[in-house]
Amino acid sequence: MTKLIMTFPVTETSHTLASYRSRGGYATLERVVREMRPEDVTREVTAAGVQGRGGAAFPAGRKWSVIKLNDGQPHYLCANADEGEPGTFKDRWILENAPHLLLESMLIAAYALQVRHAFVYMRGEFDLPYRRLASAIDEATAAGLMGERILGSAFDCDVLIYRGAGSYVCGEASALLTSIEGKRGYPRNRPPRLTVRGLYQRPTVVNNVETLSNITGIVRDGAAAFRAVGTADSPGTRLVSVSGHVNRPGVHEIDLGYAFERLLDDCGGVLDGRALKAVIPGGISSKVLTGDEIMPLALDHESLAAAGSSLGSGGMIVIAEGTCMVRLLQVMLRFYHHESCGQCTPCREGMGWLHRIIDRIVAGEGRPEDIDRLYRISAANDGTTICGLGDAAGYATSGILNKFRPEFEYWIEHKRSRFDGNLVCRASS
Amino acid sequence: MSASPTFASLVPEFDALRRRFPPGFESSLVLPCLRRLQEAWGHVEDSDIAALAEYLAVPRVQIEEALSFYGQLRREPVGRWHVEVCRNVSCSLRGAETLLERLSSKLGLAPGDTSADGRFTLSTCECLGSCGTAPVVLVNGVYHENASAPEIERMIEGLERA
Amino acid sequence: MPRIVVDGRAIDAAGGQSVIEAARAHGIDIPHFCWHPSLSVAGSCRVCVVEVEGRGLDIACNLPATEGMQVFTDSPAVRERRREMLELTLLNHPVDCGICDKAGECTLQDYHYAHNGAASASGERKVRATKFHALSDRIVLDNERCILCSRCVRFTHEVSKSHGLGILHRGDGSLLRETGDGAFARDPYSDNVLDVCPVGALLSRSSLYRARVWYLQPTRSVCPGCARGCPVDLWHRKPEWRLNALDPAKNRAIVRVTPRDDGRPEGPWICNKGRDLAALFERPRAMQAMLHGRAVPLDVAIDAAADLIDSSKTRIALVSSWASNEELAAFKDALGERFTTFVKEDHRPLPGETIEDDFLIRADKNPNATAAAALFPVRGKPMSAAPSGQPPDLVLAWGEGFDARGLPDGARAIVLDAYGHADHARADVFIPLSIQTERAGHYTNFQGVVRAFDACFDKPASVADAQELFAALAVGARVPA
Repeated sequence: MTKLIMTFPVTETSHTLASYRSRGGYATLERVVREMRPEDVTREVTAAGVQGRGGAAFPAGRKWSVIKLNDGQPHYLCANADEGEPGTFKDRWILENAPHLLLESMLIAAYALQVRHAFVYMRGEFDLPYRRLASAIDEATAAGLMGERILGSAFDCDVLIYRGAGSYVCGEASALLTSIEGKRGYPRNRPPRLTVRGLYQRPTVVNNVETLSNITGIVRDGAAAFRAVGTADSPGTRLVSVSGHVNRPGVHEIDLGYAFERLLDDCGGVLDGRALKAVIPGGISSKVLTGDEIMPLALDHESLAAAGSSLGSGGMIVIAEGTCMVRLLQVMLRFYHHESCGQCTPCREGMGWLHRIIDRIVAGEGRPEDIDRLYRISAANDGTTICGLGDAAGYATSGILNKFRPEFEYWIEHKRSRFDGNLVCRASS
Repeated sequence: MSASPTFASLVPEFDALRRRFPPGFESSLVLPCLRRLQEAWGHVEDSDIAALAEYLAVPRVQIEEALSFYGQLRREPVGRWHVEVCRNVSCSLRGAETLLERLSSKLGLAPGDTSADGRFTLSTCECLGSCGTAPVVLVNGVYHENASAPEIERMIEGLERA
Repeated sequence: MPRIVVDGRAIDAAGGQSVIEAARAHGIDIPHFCWHPSLSVAGSCRVCVVEVEGRGLDIACNLPATEGMQVFTDSPAVRERRREMLELTLLNHPVDCGICDKAGECTLQDYHYAHNGAASASGERKVRATKFHALSDRIVLDNERCILCSRCVRFTHEVSKSHGLGILHRGDGSLLRETGDGAFARDPYSDNVLDVCPVGALLSRSSLYRARVWYLQPTRSVCPGCARGCPVDLWHRKPEWRLNALDPAKNRAIVRVTPRDDGRPEGPWICNKGRDLAALFERPRAMQAMLHGRAVPLDVAIDAAADLIDSSKTRIALVSSWASNEELAAFKDALGERFTTFVKEDHRPLPGETIEDDFLIRADKNPNATAAAALFPVRGKPMSAAPSGQPPDLVLAWGEGFDARGLPDGARAIVLDAYGHADHARADVFIPLSIQTERAGHYTNFQGVVRAFDACFDKPASVADAQELFAALAVGARVPA
């Protein structure tokens, strides 16, 4: 297995500038500001074909190429460190353990995109990640790696941390920018694209923390080296966050195309040796796969798409046999209802509606037609909303209904769960 | 209504923040200033909304909207110890629901309530990015990961004595 | 200029226009709630969905019209999507049309009948929210009826700039609210949110429950509140819905005032003073002609006025800046040569009134001072002396704001006024006049824009129409007995 990000053993000091430099850190930035033109960097990133690691898998190079150089207006770069997708905690690993990798990558990106001020939008609850990144910024600034005339060149750039304050929807790129503008985080309609009118109406690139963290390696080793890892259509590695009913949850870096079965082994298998019931492969907004479906799969965009789901944010939630999927959907729908920003009609009204129906089913007052209604509300949110939150709730709902409909029918008919409403993995009797 | 002493004492910090941001980013300072005010005082006072609007020259409505929109911001005080239990998917799969019930009976509080003596507030919250170390409990913003009920109950007892 | 095809009809879109704008400019209405021609695009109601060939469904308000685009506004896919969006819009709406003032002119009600028509799809408890929330002492808010289109919020951000409204909280708990500093209550344009609200969420306290809108009809008018002369509609009972059993005054009441969109660059807005025209018009009237305070029939007073004019030598006239162009011209034709004429300021700013701003409100609180000054360009202090140097022996004062104390010693006074005033009894001749709602005419505003107003009601028989009056006072008008 190739490691592009988790390349070093984590110690008490491995996150510091000294440690990062001992691993060759900031040499790439130095070469970039001395030897490369901005367009050379973008060309390399585009050639590498690195896709967004936040969920949508949009090629970063294509996003960058929209930015017009020397157009006389400020450009902005924002690292999306909101990491709010339930089941996802891999960016947190980078922020805590490799903050300088993110910073060096952001500075290289800022150079390529002619950005004077770059932002890291970090979810408000993150504490250690914030302290680690803030101290990394201080170290880099003191070392002349950030600020004015970086490494003696004509390139000036500052990276600022912007902390959120508790809103899932702010992980959506346009809502994130609205939040950096100090407003409540309403997503924006496209057009215009954010690369045309983003932060304060200026051209802005928003990339996920992990996406950006790949930039240093891509520029250092070249696009071909990056493409040598993973699959033809999904180059590179992914950080996957494994949680739920596994013995050793945690963040793993895998080559794209890695076998799911091996990853499950790497995590010590299903808790208590239970059978695998299901996996939500890419954060709760991706469609659930049954254990049988995911077991033979390779983890890359193409294979998961073919199976009707996606790698999303890489947040894998493992669910053991015996878990009640009705209750699981209830937890999810409560979340989407809580986090709907309320701006556009289908999501504002639909999330509450979905939540009230599932609550009623769980309360033993379900009606046979409720299942169809859950499907219909999901469909009414598919592609109709300003951002993806409504779609995501719909995918989660229809995904679980498609695979586990009998559990819902059972609860509606018998007014109780087929699995005693279990979400925790009880030791097998 | 004039600004609170807290606000007045933070103005130098706000000035410094302002210098760090690019020119024209006054509106962006709303969230960091609100976070800082709340950190210092526990919640954001009405009088400080007006003071901040004036200080940043932003419409007051922007601040009121932000305060009501973001889950972490509040205009009312919470207990001295604010205990928040994540109830999202991964934490629920690892026992958050039982943990919440145990905490609720230990503190004699329903989620969302504050004890009469103002010492404890119990809340639920959504995913904190601790899914790999679930379940997670926040106490005054500090993460307690891999939280087991007995361990958290012992900690609460410690806080009750504090 | 991109050419697009909407429902098979080729139309030319102006550069930068969205599909909804281009379609509207050619008379094709795409259903919408949050979009408003004079406000920014919110794109949140999702009702203005259209189908674009090769691209599927999208919202027309945020879709730039581009060359060759084939747009369908009523395809099966559009109809189904629109129906879904309306179903969601109504999900938590109380559907209390029977007691809602907006019923009859409610976009939600109209669209429901036109595009959905189905009974409620939800068997769930509706989300309850605040009712009768006072946004200000002028406007009451029903949060359950509010569909969160944000038009009113955008109005206060983009047009009146009071920033007095916002949407608090999130999800289906979102609530329209006024800010805590009273900015909305101080917004002199606040009542425009009543018109931009597509549903019955925002209601005027002054007209609350006074009449179903289908009992009312609008009459074209011009606000006389300042020199801007905003085009307005005055709403009053239709003749066929006259309430014979009640106080007849109810049938002559202005129930509400709304802006009349004549496409002027300022947009379809008026200030709150314009909304309160009913109070301005319905002040106590002067209904009785008088000679030295003694009631006489109107024709007797007119005769007496003619005699006074004939018997005086140095005549001064103070003409009303609330008079219409036609009335001013009639005065000039009939009496212009016999009077030295000055323009009088009928109204001055009232205490607490916004004097002037950089939007609509002008410091001159009279609608027609511009036309009056053009017809009667005499400057100077009217009462001290006529240009001849002779002190006047007759003063004709037309309109409000005449101070009888300023009358030169020994001068006679003819006073013409529509509204009651104690000084009227001191005039040698007093003749009551009709008010704006009882006659048609035009005003010329400070920019030179001429706007017409029509009569809402007949004038009472005991008051004079100024145009007829001046014709009667003209030289040679009287048939020798």
